[in-house]
Amino acid sequence: MLSPTVQLLPLAIVAGMFALFILSGLRTRSRQASEYGFNGGYTGRIGIGAAIASNWMSAASFMGLAGMFYLKGYFAMAFVVGWTGGYVLLLVLMASQIRRFGKFTAPDFVGFRYESDSARTMVACISILITVIYSVAQFRGIALLVSWLFGIAYIPAVVLAASIVVSLVVVSGTLGVARNQKLQYFVLIVTFILPLMLLTRKLGYFWLLPQFGYGAAISDLQQQFGFAWSEPFSTVSLFHWMALCFTLMFGTAGLPHVLSRFYMVPGIRDARWGVVWGLFFIALIYWSAPAYGVLGRLFEARGGIPFSADPGSADMVILSAVSNAGLPLWVVGLLAAGGMSAAFSTVAGMMLTGSASFSYDIYPRLIRPTASETDKVYAAKGFFLILAAVVMVLTLKPWGMIAEIAALAFALAGNTIFPAFLLGIWWDRANAPGVIAGMLSGVLITFLPFLVGDALPVVSRLLPPTSSAFIGAPVVIVVMVVVSLLTTAPSESIRRFLARDVHDCSEE
Amino acid sequence: MAEHDEGYGISILKPRGTSMRSEVRVIRLVLAGWLLSIVAFQVFVYLLEVNYSELLLNELTFFNLPIHFWLTGQFLPLWFIILCALFNFWMDRHSVRSLDGSLRFTVRGSRSREGE
Repeated sequence: MLSPTVQLLPLAIVAGMFALFILSGLRTRSRQASEYGFNGGYTGRIGIGAAIASNWMSAASFMGLAGMFYLKGYFAMAFVVGWTGGYVLLLVLMASQIRRFGKFTAPDFVGFRYESDSARTMVACISILITVIYSVAQFRGIALLVSWLFGIAYIPAVVLAASIVVSLVVVSGTLGVARNQKLQYFVLIVTFILPLMLLTRKLGYFWLLPQFGYGAAISDLQQQFGFAWSEPFSTVSLFHWMALCFTLMFGTAGLPHVLSRFYMVPGIRDARWGVVWGLFFIALIYWSAPAYGVLGRLFEARGGIPFSADPGSADMVILSAVSNAGLPLWVVGLLAAGGMSAAFSTVAGMMLTGSASFSYDIYPRLIRPTASETDKVYAAKGFFLILAAVVMVLTLKPWGMIAEIAALAFALAGNTIFPAFLLGIWWDRANAPGVIAGMLSGVLITFLPFLVGDALPVVSRLLPPTSSAFIGAPVVIVVMVVVSLLTTAPSESIRRFLARDVHDCSEE
Repeated sequence: MAEHDEGYGISILKPRGTSMRSEVRVIRLVLAGWLLSIVAFQVFVYLLEVNYSELLLNELTFFNLPIHFWLTGQFLPLWFIILCALFNFWMDRHSVRSLDGSLRFTVRGSRSREGE
């Protein structure tokens, strides 16, 4: 939906939203400094939930999911189930236990649990790789929005998007802006649901709960235009659906920026209930996202607009649906602001974490062992710019839609970090050689379809690039178990720590 | 996660201690509910599509939505929230019981010392 002109009103809404975040962040910072000290504010279970949800919401959830529904119909439900079901795994298997380890990052956790600097460095490298892939999805979202807002083509929009991201991070860092995640979630949910309610009302469907109201649009599409949404597995096999769904779930429980929410929560009980609230807030978006895809299709069919299989158009369906419905421009501006907010906060957070990981886990260990604290700060800043440049170049020619790009990051996390954490917490015999062999296998499995997929189609069928952890994660777990059993057991101290501090093994 | 005879033997397949055993039992129940719901719904939808054609899937609606959209897109996320809430309720009660147990142990311990 490229328009040759600058969209002034939506642009003003987007700029106003960022100004609001910066002002609110400055206020939050001063309040935390005066009331809570350096530990930050205690926000309660709903606050933790809002933080989990806003941390989670990215361009993939805000824009990509609706695009997948628009293009692939029921297949996109695998994203809904995968991105919510993963939190069940996270809660029951990891949330409390991670907190008991008392570490601050994924490399910290793995380095401590497996007593290995090599494993620690490896996790840092994998985390950075995940950051790069995930950030490409966010950059693509930002670039598509920038392209529409400024009326420019995709390639210059990518460069402009990268400049905006770097500038905003530098401004926020210079001013010391704290992230107000409750406000951010509030903005996300309002900018996503309000336009959808207006859209459903315009069509005369049940607009108070558009999450159910869009059902009538599915039958209208079928009856009036012969478009069938009722053959869920006609184009995609049941195996492929399951593979994607479970990959996303394993990946959710292995993504470093998701796990990071649990390292420093004030209390285990609040952390657990925070997951429930977070899942509810996330589900509010996911219950609604299919409606945009379905209504987008319906408006196109009614307007005689030919269906486009172009991934760029599909990723922009939330905007085009509202635009084709003839709703006021400020409504489209709201959606653009929400999408920009979701993508920007995710990419900024991940790239800053990736840079910190480089400067503390890789730079002083592999590149410059004598690095001082000042050197590490410069290394982090330099690496942030390198990351932004790499991500920008990759975004110029992305390998899929926003949700598909993000799914690759989930596959990598599901094949590497998820098994490392799972066995690290629940099996005291897992050791450093086991986790290193397992994570190497995981990286290989993730990228195998790209390496040999053309020559061996069976590899691409069994391990689709976006869905490889369904088979990959169990294989990696087996590799970890076998290698661990064939090598020396971990030290007595770490096994005692697991038994006494992580799990309560006492007999009453 | 195989059994082994040395060390502390922490394993989700062979939990040790009263507290860990009961926690793992609940985790298994939650994960069973999680796995069964996902697999069973998709197999159900697949069998409906294969055996009864798209017409039936179109006819079967719930809350205005085709049954497969409702089951997967609306109910499953809600079910995950319910599972997480149930797990938390149990964990809250479990941690209170554990605390009671450890307090009783402490009191008994101090009484027996008093009697010596």
